[in-house]
Amino acid sequence: MSNHSDRAYGLMVLCPLRSETGQDQSPEAFLRDFLNDLPQHELSPMAAVPNTYLCRFFVLNDVVYQGKPAALDHLKSKYLAFVAEIHAPEESDVDEYLRLMWKLAGGGGFVPKAWQYCLGFESVTNADQFVEYMRRCQIQTTLYFNGSTDEPLAEQLKALYLKQEFTRFAYEHQGLPPAALQDAFRAFAARVRPSAATPTWRPGASSLATAVIE
Amino acid sequence: MNDRAVDLHDVQGNIIKAYPRFGFPRARYLFFRINDAKAGRGFLAKLLPLITTSAPWLKEGNAADGSARPDVATNVAFTFEGLRRLGVPQASLQSFPEAFASGMKARRAILGDDGPSAPDKWDAVWQDPDPVHLFVAICGGTFEQIQRCHDRILALRGASADAIQLLDGHRGPDGQKLPYQDASAIFINDEVTPREHFGYADGISNPFFKGSLADSSNVVGGGKRRGAGGWEPLETGEFLLGYADEAFEYPAAPVPNLLGDNGTYLVYRKLHENVGSFESYLNEASAAYPGGREMLAAKLAGRWRNGAPLVRYPTEASANQFGEEWARAKKQIAESRGVERERAKRHFSKLNESMVDFDYTEDPAGGRCPIGAHARRVNPRSALEYGEQGAFARPDALSNRRRILRRGMPYGDSRDRTDDQGEHGVIFMALGADIARQFEFVQQQWINYGNDFRRANDKDPLLGNHEQDTGRFLIESDPHAAHPPHFCSKIRRFVETRGGDYFFVPSLTALHMIADGIVDPT
Repeated sequence: MSNHSDRAYGLMVLCPLRSETGQDQSPEAFLRDFLNDLPQHELSPMAAVPNTYLCRFFVLNDVVYQGKPAALDHLKSKYLAFVAEIHAPEESDVDEYLRLMWKLAGGGGFVPKAWQYCLGFESVTNADQFVEYMRRCQIQTTLYFNGSTDEPLAEQLKALYLKQEFTRFAYEHQGLPPAALQDAFRAFAARVRPSAATPTWRPGASSLATAVIE
Repeated sequence: MNDRAVDLHDVQGNIIKAYPRFGFPRARYLFFRINDAKAGRGFLAKLLPLITTSAPWLKEGNAADGSARPDVATNVAFTFEGLRRLGVPQASLQSFPEAFASGMKARRAILGDDGPSAPDKWDAVWQDPDPVHLFVAICGGTFEQIQRCHDRILALRGASADAIQLLDGHRGPDGQKLPYQDASAIFINDEVTPREHFGYADGISNPFFKGSLADSSNVVGGGKRRGAGGWEPLETGEFLLGYADEAFEYPAAPVPNLLGDNGTYLVYRKLHENVGSFESYLNEASAAYPGGREMLAAKLAGRWRNGAPLVRYPTEASANQFGEEWARAKKQIAESRGVERERAKRHFSKLNESMVDFDYTEDPAGGRCPIGAHARRVNPRSALEYGEQGAFARPDALSNRRRILRRGMPYGDSRDRTDDQGEHGVIFMALGADIARQFEFVQQQWINYGNDFRRANDKDPLLGNHEQDTGRFLIESDPHAAHPPHFCSKIRRFVETRGGDYFFVPSLTALHMIADGIVDPT
């Protein structure tokens, strides 16, 4: 089934760009500058949107002509491409994801700024309209990000945190007598709290130095 | 596929012949800077008659015409800048691959040459902003023979010694700067050994490819797995330009074809070995390891120090028995005659075969040879199938594009086993048709990273560029010894880079063309 890979969802949205900004800069040039300046990893505005496994923005200028016998063809406009792999078992979860994206990443002006030169976006003023707009621009995909399971992101991050900490525990406590090992493990379990939300890894973190949320 | 025969008379000898196995356990490496193109080509023209080819040496041959083993073997290679200095045309230069054209120093991020391996820690000869141009390697039985050839080569420069400048700055045994790098097999009781300074037998399992030698017994372990079992030679194009490779393609080669054909690339790396750190790590880490010190050493390497592979010889007793049998068979060959000698030879060759005739199909979980062990990383054989037989066209398909011919030799003295600072290590030389696909990939992905082995960012325990004391290594549960898995941590950087570069090893034909200034890419 397109878009779904079990409970993971490939969300691919192509939003057409206007042909001019009214200023001395094309929409795609503005957008490239804007996207290039976005903070990355845990500081990315998209890191705040729950269940984002991976997401990517880029400007799609045109399709590439592959040479004969392919037909020479062009896109009608340029596009802001938004590609995300998210946790969304049901279609309704995708709507909820977009609503949260509007709420969490839209607050600082990120969404309205990124989309400001997209055709028809001027009429988007609330979360429901954002969902409707994005759904209208969505295209089907069967290509998925290969670096994630389909579990909720918070569970994956907690699992990665536990794996990292448990590996450290194993290296540090190798060869202890059983009773001492059990004591150490109890202390370890009390510290890492396997069933609790924290401590865990920060969404988007790319370095262990800044990854842990205590 | 119709195989193109290899003209061994056109291929430089260091590509096909592992010289130490031909009675040349010593070597000297000279590096030159060419300050004048015409003088450089003139020098090269005079060097040509001295160059050793890959043609087999015959017992009844004549050393003067190259048909018998000479006193010394001499080979040459050029950096990209060296080719430019000799006047190779721009269109030819631009047809060389990026890795070679960039040189080793520029590729340091890929190679992991950081911290104590960073270029500013390299021997002075590699620090000069004007790089090395010409590499001359002389291999021989004794340093006296090598010195005679060395003198002869310098004399060939005649009045042009300034134009063909012998470079100084190889760190010598007492820290002094020498105008050459010496290397030698390690001798114990005046007998040549295949050991490097950590005590491991080295240079086992070099690749064997189509057209390389008449002795087809080297195909065992050196070739690739045949679907139906057994071994067959690797495709020539993995090691020589101008022939089809394992992907049934010609490796990228410079224009004109004649410049590349029968040539290849050489990676020269001076690798310092921290012998003191290695010995003390073995002492500390084996205190907690139930298998003991020698087994720990074997698990790190994938082979016992006498070369016996863990997959075939999983216990220390079996490895020791192998070592004793091997020594006995060697002695028998020397001391016996006739039928008895023939029998001893057959037994000896069977024992040698057992060192290479294996893959990891019978040990997918690493119970015998750890999945992250050095030998299993740098030549994974069938290990990347992960027990899923039939996953690829051949069990070793993913390894066959990453094989490298190793022609290195130890340098220096490590009899003081507590010493990190002395001059001791390996002059590592790797030959192959594609530096980026073969050597650099192995170095970056398999030595300094662990993802292909499902070992996250663990590095090769022996060669990895571990940050200070942070290296880790997992010894999987060993069913033979009933040991639980064991974790080795706080591994130090045992091996550090002290210099080197990428070289092109032209064919004899191409050398003539370069010397005559007639390389024509049009």
